[in-house]
Amino acid sequence: MTASLPSGGPDATSARAAAVSVAVGTRSRGWFQSQSSRRLAFGYALLAPAGLYVLLLVGLPFLFSLYLAVSDANVGDQTAAFIGLANFQAAWEMETFWIALRNSVVFLVVAAIFKSVLGTSLAFLLLQNFRGKKLVRALVVIPFTLPVAVSVLSWKWMYDSQFSVINWALSRAGLIGGYGSESWPIWLGQPHLALFACIGVNVWRSFPFSAIVLLAGFTSVPLEVLDAARVDGCTFFQRFRHVVTPMIFPILIIGFLFDTVFTLSDLSVVYLLTAGGPGNATQILPVLAYQIGIQAGSLGRGAAIALTLVPLLFPALFLMLRNIKRRDW
Amino acid sequence: MRAAAAPRTRRQKEIRRHLLLYAGVAPFLVIAVFPVYWMVITALKQEPDLYRINNIPFWFNLPPTLKNFEILFFQTNYGSWIINTMTISAWVALITLLTAVPAGYALARLRLPGAENLGIAIFMTYLVPGIILFLPLSRVVASLGLQDSWWALVVVYPTFTIPFCTWLMMGFFKTVPMEMEEAARVDGCGQFGALLRIVLPVSLPGVLTSVIFAFTLSMQDFLYGLAFVAPGDQKPVPVGVPTELIRGDVFFWGSIMAAVLLVGLPVAILYNFFLDRFIQGITGGVGK
Repeated sequence: MTASLPSGGPDATSARAAAVSVAVGTRSRGWFQSQSSRRLAFGYALLAPAGLYVLLLVGLPFLFSLYLAVSDANVGDQTAAFIGLANFQAAWEMETFWIALRNSVVFLVVAAIFKSVLGTSLAFLLLQNFRGKKLVRALVVIPFTLPVAVSVLSWKWMYDSQFSVINWALSRAGLIGGYGSESWPIWLGQPHLALFACIGVNVWRSFPFSAIVLLAGFTSVPLEVLDAARVDGCTFFQRFRHVVTPMIFPILIIGFLFDTVFTLSDLSVVYLLTAGGPGNATQILPVLAYQIGIQAGSLGRGAAIALTLVPLLFPALFLMLRNIKRRDW
Repeated sequence: MRAAAAPRTRRQKEIRRHLLLYAGVAPFLVIAVFPVYWMVITALKQEPDLYRINNIPFWFNLPPTLKNFEILFFQTNYGSWIINTMTISAWVALITLLTAVPAGYALARLRLPGAENLGIAIFMTYLVPGIILFLPLSRVVASLGLQDSWWALVVVYPTFTIPFCTWLMMGFFKTVPMEMEEAARVDGCGQFGALLRIVLPVSLPGVLTSVIFAFTLSMQDFLYGLAFVAPGDQKPVPVGVPTELIRGDVFFWGSIMAAVLLVGLPVAILYNFFLDRFIQGITGGVGK
């Protein structure tokens, strides 16, 4: 962990903050007040560019997407007339929509289970001290640091129907037959396998993230607290259950929610591997929103489909907000 | 006798512990690194060497070649994609710097009323996913006349780099002692002078980190590039490769792997160095 506590820990920070506020308090009032309106003007001037950018290109578009969803907007047509909930209704009458919704939820849950298991095991391993740990850590996080499109293409090649290196190895190990035989899996061509293959890439990409977040949590638990618990007679599991877990819970939940938001809204893995196919076996909401909103040009209906992600995302964002605010940073 | 035996057993224990740990870590290493290795070796193989089922595919069965890279630069738009990617990222980094650094400073240092909530609000916009914004943004891009040009991405990418980097800079500025700035003020610097001459130089590592993130986060995008930029010569690499190098069912895997590696590996390495900062950023512990 580089510079996890650059200023010597929370105690040092709050002590310094107290010292600073004392220093400010003893300053003469007049100086402070005459400075304060200029200070505020200066502050808001510095804040304005970032604030406006975010407001104009995130805030307004978000509201605009709410309007798009209840309009008949099309690509290439500047008008967007209000049509009520027709887009939502149309989406709900599509069988594909429900398949996409189900797949999105399955994707999220199954991937989360694998990521937690793999991430936790890796975190416990990296918690130990051993030679070459830094190198191992640097190599093991590569999946997370590679741009998504790059690694998905590599997987697409490894999932090739005929020249898949995975199948080659399985076949040589005698676990499956040769090419063309019944047991030769076509990863992206068989409905159940295809969804599993897509989930696999998401897990591969994000398990290092889970591990690193957990690791950051573990290393933030002060040793004195653990020693105190040990002196009080806690066993290893009691220390883990009653001391470590509550202390790292806030970090854990933020990492978990962050991953939820990004897994639910990611289109690149499925779009590049299968584009939702075969049939609709791997169709998920982001891909469907893209296909209908951009490829079919029906902006309104696409926006309506994308917005159905909001009820799924909202609890995650809300919990995250509460957690961030509670932290005494 | 006993004195000599004791250290040896301790050493043996240590070796055994290491072996166990390596055995535990090995599967993770293989899973994490193999796809990258597979990309490298595919990129360097001759075309027929990719399709020989009877040979062991993990190593070269025909001599390695740079032909795949040659094809990329001389027979495709790859050169322009690289230039596009670099230019887009540079512009995004510049815009991010000019907005996020002052904003981070204002939120961290100037005791603005509600600064904390404002900071959190800006950070939360980082979490509004592109999949919700890309349809309305496509209208914005069209009304600016930027559809079909990579400038669209220069406008759009700061929507996620500014929130993240503002949050990051807030953390950095909090670690600069207030006294330094006040001393500068006593010595006759104005508010702006103190920021420019004292706080910024001390926070240079933070500013650099922000630039790196603006760069790497821009290169991580796929959705916006896919949705907003259609002409073949305007695409950034992560979008150009899968949409232009794959035609129907014909895959030139050698060139495809070569193309993504050239951009992917540097980004991965750069990002690797700053990963801890990233994790600290999103878990909210930046200011500690």
